[in-house]
Amino acid sequence: MKRALKFLLCIALYGVCAVAYSAEIRVIAEKLNFPWSVAELPEGGYLVTERGGKLVHVAENGTKQAVTLSIPDLYAEAQAGLFEVLLSPDFSRSRELVISYSCGTKHANNTCVIRGKLSLQQPYSVIETQNIFTALPKKDGAAHYGARMTWLGDGTLLVALGDGFVYREQAQLLDSHLGKIVRITRSGATPEDNPYTHTKAPQIFSYGHRNVQGLIYDKDRDAIWQHEHGPRGGDELNRIEKGANYGWPIATYGIDYTGAKVSPFVDLPGMKAPLYQWTPSLAPAGLALYEGDLLVAHLAGKRLQRFQMTAGKWELEGDYLQGLNQRLRAVYVGPSGRILVLTDSKEGQLLEVIFE
Amino acid sequence: MARVLIAFLIAIIGAALVGTVIQTQFNLSELTALSVVIDMPTRMNTILHDLLHFGPLFALILTPTLFIAFIVAALIAKKLPSLERWLFIVGGGVALAIAFLIVDSLAPMPTLIAANRSPLGFALMSITGAFAGWIFDRLWHPQPRELAEELMQ
Repeated sequence: MKRALKFLLCIALYGVCAVAYSAEIRVIAEKLNFPWSVAELPEGGYLVTERGGKLVHVAENGTKQAVTLSIPDLYAEAQAGLFEVLLSPDFSRSRELVISYSCGTKHANNTCVIRGKLSLQQPYSVIETQNIFTALPKKDGAAHYGARMTWLGDGTLLVALGDGFVYREQAQLLDSHLGKIVRITRSGATPEDNPYTHTKAPQIFSYGHRNVQGLIYDKDRDAIWQHEHGPRGGDELNRIEKGANYGWPIATYGIDYTGAKVSPFVDLPGMKAPLYQWTPSLAPAGLALYEGDLLVAHLAGKRLQRFQMTAGKWELEGDYLQGLNQRLRAVYVGPSGRILVLTDSKEGQLLEVIFE
Repeated sequence: MARVLIAFLIAIIGAALVGTVIQTQFNLSELTALSVVIDMPTRMNTILHDLLHFGPLFALILTPTLFIAFIVAALIAKKLPSLERWLFIVGGGVALAIAFLIVDSLAPMPTLIAANRSPLGFALMSITGAFAGWIFDRLWHPQPRELAEELMQ
């Protein structure tokens, strides 16, 4: 109603204008240690992953309680750790969820995904866990894991991966999971209609990615939206298509942190150009759909951006939450339609954002 | 003193120029290995870009590294004057290799300079420190036969 009034007032005063929203914030929980992802439980409350390795249940009143979760091969250091918790589409019935994390050791690690069940009763525990995906090859260093996930309409799971930073050329190799988005079934099998089933990495769905930190399936448009970090500049918003090459490190708007060119090319035939690119980098770290718009949470940019589809193109509608002066790790819109945002710090917060 | 400063400045600039061109070639060779065709104008433009944008950072790494390395080399050279040139050459190279390792241990990424990812790249980039050592000592303490060289033939 408020928005409609604002719109009418705007037209009366200026003839035509875009409606700017205002964003209000409610703090749900505090003192979360580098929270990475959040999921809204149908019975109320939230599951929040902390990068260090803890899964936390946050009640509606903000009370926190550790969820029992055993991941023996978890590797947590720098960017590595516990990443996304994603409820299965039939969670209410099955209690199944998937969790992405970095597995292995300092010198041999990559992104793994496990499937498990959340107990019915509190205190919660994740039981019957089983590995459903391990990205290969194992790599050195604690950088660029991707690890965002989304369910497609056919019940298969997309898992975003990173290039491991120093292995950037492998994003173009179809025998490696580095720098890819993979598609698997809920049990971890490779769907027969994946585009590169003849390779040593048959789970590959798309390639040429650097570090995918946002991935969402848009049921209404039957589209997959994704964003990834560029190096210095060249953060990208893409529409993911089966089998497509997104260019990294051959085509990029970004340059290396040292100032050197990663590639002389920003666009090449046969490679998908981004729908939108951020230069300088804002480090987009989370992506959600809200009323048909895209919400993007930024780490370095310390803001939440809202994009609207105009004439088939995503256009930036506005920047929000800059007053917080906080790195934002994730944005999530659950079944209730509420917008949840995680700030990225040792004393991270779970926030509800209300657009008016 | 002015001679030392000028020699040091030229050594830094020389090593930064050579090192920049080397790392550009490594980066581009990784792309050509992926079947990307890079023509000469594109290659030259990339070198120019890197000279302007990577060169200053490399000079920033070289300056404190070679400052320390050359002081140590000069002190040892007092005891071993016949080895002075080699002390600067080896000192510059070893010091730069150590500096790369220190930078990589401090930086969030495993390897800051992409060319240093391969042993050959690391060796060649480190040798630019040795090149700087040679330039510096060549200008600071030129040998009699070097002084006898004519500037233009």
